[in-house]
Amino acid sequence: MDDVRKKEILDKLAEAVVEYDEDLAKEWSQIALDEGLDAFEAIMNGLAAGMETVGDLYDKQEYFVPEMLMCADALYAGLDILRPHIKKEDQKKMGQVVIGTVQGDVHDIGKNIIKLMFDVGGFEVHDLGRDVPLEKFVEEQMKTDSEIVAMSAMMTTTMTGMKKVIEMIKEKNPNVAIMLGGAPVTQDVADLFGADGYAESAGNAVQEAIKMISQLRKLQEQG
Amino acid sequence: MSEMKPKERVVKLFKKEPIDVMPVFSGQGMVLIQAIQEMGIRFPQVHASAEYLAGSAIKTAEMFGFDALIIPYDMCTIPEAMGRGISLYEKSEEILYPTVPYKWDSLDDVKIPDDILERGRMPLVDEAIKIAKAYGDGKYAIGGWLLGPFTMAGQVYELDLLLKGLKKDKDRIEAFLSDMTDLVIKVAQHYEELGVDYISIREMGSGSDLISPRMWKTLIQPNLTKIFDSLKGPTVNHICGSTDLIVEMMNECGADAISVDHKNTIAETRRKIGNDVLLFGYFNPYDTLVTGDVADVEPEIKKNIDDGVDAVWPGCDLWPDVKRENVEVYVRTIREYGKKPSPAVGRLQ
Repeated sequence: MDDVRKKEILDKLAEAVVEYDEDLAKEWSQIALDEGLDAFEAIMNGLAAGMETVGDLYDKQEYFVPEMLMCADALYAGLDILRPHIKKEDQKKMGQVVIGTVQGDVHDIGKNIIKLMFDVGGFEVHDLGRDVPLEKFVEEQMKTDSEIVAMSAMMTTTMTGMKKVIEMIKEKNPNVAIMLGGAPVTQDVADLFGADGYAESAGNAVQEAIKMISQLRKLQEQG
Repeated sequence: MSEMKPKERVVKLFKKEPIDVMPVFSGQGMVLIQAIQEMGIRFPQVHASAEYLAGSAIKTAEMFGFDALIIPYDMCTIPEAMGRGISLYEKSEEILYPTVPYKWDSLDDVKIPDDILERGRMPLVDEAIKIAKAYGDGKYAIGGWLLGPFTMAGQVYELDLLLKGLKKDKDRIEAFLSDMTDLVIKVAQHYEELGVDYISIREMGSGSDLISPRMWKTLIQPNLTKIFDSLKGPTVNHICGSTDLIVEMMNECGADAISVDHKNTIAETRRKIGNDVLLFGYFNPYDTLVTGDVADVEPEIKKNIDDGVDAVWPGCDLWPDVKRENVEVYVRTIREYGKKPSPAVGRLQ
């Protein structure tokens, strides 16, 4: 495939995400495969690159959460087609993550967007859903030996539950990385609770996710 | 100058008549753990008993010197009456507010029962309002609150579908929001009939963190305006999160007061809306009263007043597990520093 055609396909994949066009994402993902474009490259430099543009549009307050959710749907539509075709050598073992919203919280938009980041990044994701009892995070981490536990709480009233989970997990395995997210979570709270990272809101979760995707893309470019 | 009674202070504030001092109240839950413990009950028990609901509000107000009793506490009473269930977390050791376990994932399934006021805990809330109203010969102002139609919709219908539907399925979502608006009006009018002294409509899921100001104008503003037009008042239009871009539109909705949280640039808001509009806000109750140092409470409350609010309102429910000494400083600072007139409300000479 020549560079011009390759660029065209990648641009179309990015455009499908930015324009939240699921059909276009499916169509050009299939074209990418049919014409022999590497699936991993199509994901990272097509779909994920589109999500970076979405982040810029959110920064400029041209896009808000409804648009972001639709962009994420378009990304998943392409990802579902491309992911089974990633070459073995590109299937770098990124690790495993346990993710969920804590008990008392039924809001899972931020969690789902962070999940997308891990999916794009090639992680194996164990999604516990929402309103998850605290001990379930600990059990699932131990069962899967996941390197990351990501918890989200949108309500202040459920936030302190996170602290207990962190204590329980760190006590058993201090090397597990803990990510917190949700509207009431600030860096101060994350520090106070002993967490390793945080995202402030659904919007910020997207920003954080996009930053991580960008990092992954840079790593990939560096070989 | 004689000291006003709590209810009188709040009622006159809404009329923008001179008062002795700024009242300590809000439009969100104000039940605190110290009161619940003194009653010898656990937090989950509060939500299922009219006596506990009213009793814990009264006990909290008496302990800390608040001017109003806020009922209900949780946002699930109406979704529960719509058949969406209730999780009370009775076995949890944490303090957890009830949540709605079952959301609809298709608009085709949405049904609003005609007898909603008789379902679930709705009669219990009515009873709690009556108990609170009768206490101390009507000593306290009674504040009722409801979710706004958009936030209510997100409680009973999957939120991601609702948000995407705003773009992809606009006509049906508009019809759904219109039904939610009529529901909010029906319940709010019922609370007015029961004699609450003010009603706060909390459209907290509609800030600019989530949806665009343009969407707010077309899908949120008309419904809020219809609600405030349908109520006798006083009413408060409360939105938390990012509100700088929509605060002027909030003010156009016709409520007697607007309320915002710490994400709002309040001094700028006061400049935008002028000095004649009742403006409430804006401290972060979790940071200020739960995790914060007691020494930081007084400067925070004073800053709220200096920035031009007519009543210092927390940006959200007071989280029950507060530090007692922080709440005491919060109340004392309002009582002392709130003796001076606020932009829209004078003081008795």
